[in-house]
Amino acid sequence: MIGLRGVEVVAGGFSVGALDLDVPAGDYAVLLGPSGAGKTLVLEAVAGVRPVRGGAVLIRGEDVTRMPAERRGVGLVFQDGLLFPHLTVARNIAYGLGAAWSASPGRRRRALRPQVARLAAETGVVDLLERRPATLSGGERQRVALARALAAGPRVLLLDEPLSAVDADAREGLQDLLRRLNVDEGLTVLHVTHDLGEAFAVGGLFAVLVAGRLQQVGAPNDVLRRPATVEVARFTGARNVFEVRPVPGDSSRLALAPSGFLRISSPAPAGVRHAVVRADDITVAPEARPRVDEGAAYLTGRVRRVVCAGATSVVEVDVPPLFRVAVAARELEALAIEQGGAVRLRVPATAVHVV
Amino acid sequence: MRGRRPSLFWAACAVAGAVLIAFVVLPAASMIVGAGAGFLGEALRQGDIRRSLWLTVSAALIATAIAFVVGVPLAYLLARRDFVGKRAIEGIIDLPIVFPHTAAGIALLTVYGREGVIGRLLAPFGISFTETVAGIVLAMLFVSLPYLVDTARETFALVDERYEHVARTLGSSPGGAFLRVTFPQAWRGVLSGAVLMWGRGISEFGAVVILAYNPKVISVLTFELFEGFGLRAAQPPAVLIVIVAFVVFLVARTVLLPRRGRSGKGSA
Repeated sequence: MIGLRGVEVVAGGFSVGALDLDVPAGDYAVLLGPSGAGKTLVLEAVAGVRPVRGGAVLIRGEDVTRMPAERRGVGLVFQDGLLFPHLTVARNIAYGLGAAWSASPGRRRRALRPQVARLAAETGVVDLLERRPATLSGGERQRVALARALAAGPRVLLLDEPLSAVDADAREGLQDLLRRLNVDEGLTVLHVTHDLGEAFAVGGLFAVLVAGRLQQVGAPNDVLRRPATVEVARFTGARNVFEVRPVPGDSSRLALAPSGFLRISSPAPAGVRHAVVRADDITVAPEARPRVDEGAAYLTGRVRRVVCAGATSVVEVDVPPLFRVAVAARELEALAIEQGGAVRLRVPATAVHVV
Repeated sequence: MRGRRPSLFWAACAVAGAVLIAFVVLPAASMIVGAGAGFLGEALRQGDIRRSLWLTVSAALIATAIAFVVGVPLAYLLARRDFVGKRAIEGIIDLPIVFPHTAAGIALLTVYGREGVIGRLLAPFGISFTETVAGIVLAMLFVSLPYLVDTARETFALVDERYEHVARTLGSSPGGAFLRVTFPQAWRGVLSGAVLMWGRGISEFGAVVILAYNPKVISVLTFELFEGFGLRAAQPPAVLIVIVAFVVFLVARTVLLPRRGRSGKGSA
């Protein structure tokens, strides 16, 4: 449904691409990456409001690279809704039904009213129709922006950080609405965000963009558990990314720099330089506890500091290298871990992903 | 209660501002007082002053309308697009601000005068820019167009371009997005520029007098009366144009532009 074939986009001195991406019809894809990765440029190129320097943009199998935005059949929703401030909510929605709403005679306006009402009901903004955008909350603005985008009857919905300016309560409702539009209306969605939590809440297909390059495309769990690059690993919150080298004659271990070993569950492919371990896959215990299995590496170190972050704390352990271990607050208390204390880390072989 | 005391800083700002306001108001007030109580009726009873006032106001209005038609699209282009030579074009637009106005008149004369390139071309069609209303409009247009183009460009630049992107995906052409989405948000700023341009146009003397001493706009008439009959005779037309300009500016700022300075974007 949405296809990018070697797409290159340039803005100022920054370039994105060449990108290849396929979002099948009816899928919900999330283009995620850190701020400044070029995600919005890609979205704008798909929408047709930013020219591409090279490659082709396909929508419904048709090459739309040279097609003006108004003929591409895409809906575009930005982070802040960008409702037209000089129009009421009703007229904002009606804009997509026919751009002549504001200038049309009363008869035409009355003819459009049922459609506006239907879209308002679908997006939950019936009570807001006569309001001005300036009087709406962030969540209300996004709902109206969605209604307006749907009014034009798009088959593709492009969302640029649509939940970033919305409070937590409204966010859940909007996530439900977006999923419903995707499933019930059969809309193909490309959702841009830098927020991993938001991406997991809505997305079925992840495409990770870092510094203008598409690093990985896959299912959310694949991207999280098996990052294709160090950049993806870091972006998806892997707190432990280490330089490693193979151990001659031992395919079950990797040597850590500067010291120590990690066990791996299957032989590492040639050319592997990094090992990724998520903080919540490592367990920490007082040094005195005995080893219990051979399917993991055991490393000893000293606690550098404990960073409390609500229900989960991060224990930084200097082996070296520095390991970060996620520990539930209650468990932390039971373990009696203290700064400077000696601890033993257990790193399961299955938790070590090589890049 | 410390926070409620007027700060010394704001008091200093107010004093500095008061000095500036007095600097502007004093000459105008002195001129009005010097003209005497019955000056307005006296001035309006004089046919040449009435005709001159109407000519000045209408010629400046025509110049502003022309600049609106050709200048607003240029302002939008400059606000939205980057292209080779853009800085040069912006500089050219601003050139009339630094041009000595008599020099501007002479420059215009070399092009639009009887011996000028365009003047010669248009003469067979009975179009002349010397000693005509067309010449006055031309001179006013030349010296005052930067005020409209610059203000409009800055106002358009303040309207988020993504509004247009959304409008395009909703079915609008680039022109439709401009007319239905951008201009309705920017019109107050554009109008503000138009009022400034009109105000600059009615006050023009140097360029006008070179191209068209006659028919006399108010600045030329004032100068002629001063030269021929002294200060007292020159005061009525001068006072009249100051009052007209003040009223127009006041109406524009209080009625037509109520949100200017608050939104900063001229948005509705």
